[in-house]
Amino acid sequence: MGASIYKNKKPLIVFLLPAFLFMIVYLYYPFFQNIINSFQQIKRLGQSGTGWNDPWYMNYVEMVKDPVVWTSMKNTLIMMLVTIIGQVGIALILALLVDNIRIGAKFFRTVYFFPIVISATALGLLFNLIFLYDKGMLNQILESLGKTSLTDWKSEGLALFTMMLPVMWQYVGFYFVIMITGLNNISEELYESASIDGATRFQRVRYISLPLLHNVLCTCVVLAVTGALKVFDLPWTMFPKGMPMKSTFLTGTYMYYQTMEAKNVDYGSTLAILLVILGVLTSKIVNAIFKEKDY
Amino acid sequence: MKKRILSLVLASAMVLSLAACGSKDTGSANEEPAPAETEAEAEAEAPAEQESEPAEAEAPAGPVELNVTTTFAGEDGNAQNFKNAVDAWCAETGNSVADTSATSDETFKTRVITDFETGSEPDVLFFFNGADANSFIEAGKVVSIDDIRAEYPDYAGNMNDDLITDSLVDGKKYAVPVNGFWEAMFVNTEVLDAAGVSVPGAGYTWDQFLEDCQKIKDAGYAPIACALGNIPHYWWEFAIFNHTSPATHLNVPTSVDSEQGQAWVAGMEDIKALYEAGYFPENTLSATDDETFAMFTEGKAAFLIDGSWKVGGIVNACQSDPEDPSTLDADKLAKFDVTYVPGMNDRKATDLIGGLSMGYYITTKAWEDPEKRDAAVSFVSYMTSDELVPVFAQHTASALKNAPAVDESAFNPLQVKAMAMMSGVTSLTGAVQDIFQGDCRVSTFDGMPEIVTGRVDAIDAVAEGIDAYNAQ
Repeated sequence: MGASIYKNKKPLIVFLLPAFLFMIVYLYYPFFQNIINSFQQIKRLGQSGTGWNDPWYMNYVEMVKDPVVWTSMKNTLIMMLVTIIGQVGIALILALLVDNIRIGAKFFRTVYFFPIVISATALGLLFNLIFLYDKGMLNQILESLGKTSLTDWKSEGLALFTMMLPVMWQYVGFYFVIMITGLNNISEELYESASIDGATRFQRVRYISLPLLHNVLCTCVVLAVTGALKVFDLPWTMFPKGMPMKSTFLTGTYMYYQTMEAKNVDYGSTLAILLVILGVLTSKIVNAIFKEKDY
Repeated sequence: MKKRILSLVLASAMVLSLAACGSKDTGSANEEPAPAETEAEAEAEAPAEQESEPAEAEAPAGPVELNVTTTFAGEDGNAQNFKNAVDAWCAETGNSVADTSATSDETFKTRVITDFETGSEPDVLFFFNGADANSFIEAGKVVSIDDIRAEYPDYAGNMNDDLITDSLVDGKKYAVPVNGFWEAMFVNTEVLDAAGVSVPGAGYTWDQFLEDCQKIKDAGYAPIACALGNIPHYWWEFAIFNHTSPATHLNVPTSVDSEQGQAWVAGMEDIKALYEAGYFPENTLSATDDETFAMFTEGKAAFLIDGSWKVGGIVNACQSDPEDPSTLDADKLAKFDVTYVPGMNDRKATDLIGGLSMGYYITTKAWEDPEKRDAAVSFVSYMTSDELVPVFAQHTASALKNAPAVDESAFNPLQVKAMAMMSGVTSLTGAVQDIFQGDCRVSTFDGMPEIVTGRVDAIDAVAEGIDAYNAQ
């Protein structure tokens, strides 16, 4: 009897059921309802569909023709590149540097991780003040350095830079911590033996740290790319409604805008499906490119 | 066996705890009537107005909790007045209020409409009486004033019915108004003085306005404080009004080629001309409304078109501590004035946008609940009484039959100026954007930057909006 309980898996179903029901009610049912909504006429938020669109795929045609959809996809793609280069790249450099110092490593870990604990909305408001046109911190510094005119950091030419810089800054610490943990897992003996063989510090990083960090890097890149698709709060706080000129929309913020602001609920549902498809596709591609290796 | 029993007990506990989480709120929402001793206390404290209510109305079973939502929250000038009034009503009746008031914005509107859709509407709400209310009026989820009067003949008896707005759905009256609103042009006289421009008066024309804007711009200031990429609403309304008239302004065009449609296009073109002349702040397309308002209060911009609620905002901006009226900088406040919006064609400068756009509704849910009906009627009657309405209305209009004389000594200088300005108003017309709701506004509201920069023709943007409106 004693060991038989481990063979009988039926009680496990009972444990799994509540979470399964929760997922059905709050994830899968809304997901499939959203697909139906994308084919329906919904006059305003909170109301049920009043009938099918004519033709039923109208929103999908509109989506392909909508220039803002392409702008938002382009911006999301840029955001992915920024996260790979700006977040994972910088985090890697910082992790390698911190891993090579003996004093202050813990201090730097805390310092770099700290932005993660601040809410994105609070950060958005903070950076709004930094980039403020009139009396913003950055413009005041430039003024003190002799610049005579104010810079509109949220103008069309600079808006993407202004939006992506805080997003990049916020998550560097997250990847930094993952990588520093990965570096700590590499045995000291490898470095010692390489030193005895006459390897320089750069060679030790190039031929020991980086190859052994490959799987951690892959995980970070997958997290960064899929995370870039979901970025919402900070860009929306800093650039509501895709300001200026709808040039700063990301796929997520545009979907929210169409649903909550423009009250075009069925079109917002269509954009949500685009978001899901993009998410699945990009994670597949990234997983294929950055495949983890077995050592 | 013991382990199997343990696992089943644990699983049951998990499911029960989830169920308990779910039922907790429902339980509190449908609480049993309060204990008898509380009932007795409430009866002892019952107000005279409740005693005089008709006999056919069922006596309240005891103190009840009313769910109330209003826009008297956040920076609204009446937020504190509302809190005080609620406290006083609760103390008087023994009832309590679950207040879910929030700042009046699109999120608030959406929340209220969604609450109605999902059957979780409040008992009493202070809400818009235009197209925003159509969905729940169509669904029969609020009670008309006439239906309430059939049971409570004195309900809203102190109001002039002619001034209570009719529903766009069935022409009935549902919302008992409290305070009205007006939209006018605030001016920073410090900037005007620096530019050698006098404060505009009742006969202010569009051409004079353009001349003044040029002078202000030449003096190094931004003539107009407006974030076109964020809140173009007020300029949108008046620019169109300048090509319609008080009699025709509320007509939504049937097509862009119609006379009204062309008036709307001309309005958009006027805003574009102002933008091209450089009369808006340099960052008008990327700034928020808060930023351009700060420019106005800090003496960097001259004109600001906004609503009566902005009087409180300007006063707050003149206090070192916005929460503490004693920190008001009277000299700074003296630099602000409020006047008429430059007029054109059939619209005189003194023809303003305004009216009574909101009011108290009683929901069908509360009306059909014998425990809450009396309390809901009592609450609205209290909030719309002759004593309280002037407290809320201040320098705006009200629908009272016998409006008491306003005590100007209790007003700040800007409120006094607003009263003087209002005394010269020749007409108050509702805002057509309150009828032109939903996705039809997107092409000319959110699309304003594209219009003023010439990326989208005004005629195309207006046509797109009208098409969306006609499709609703």
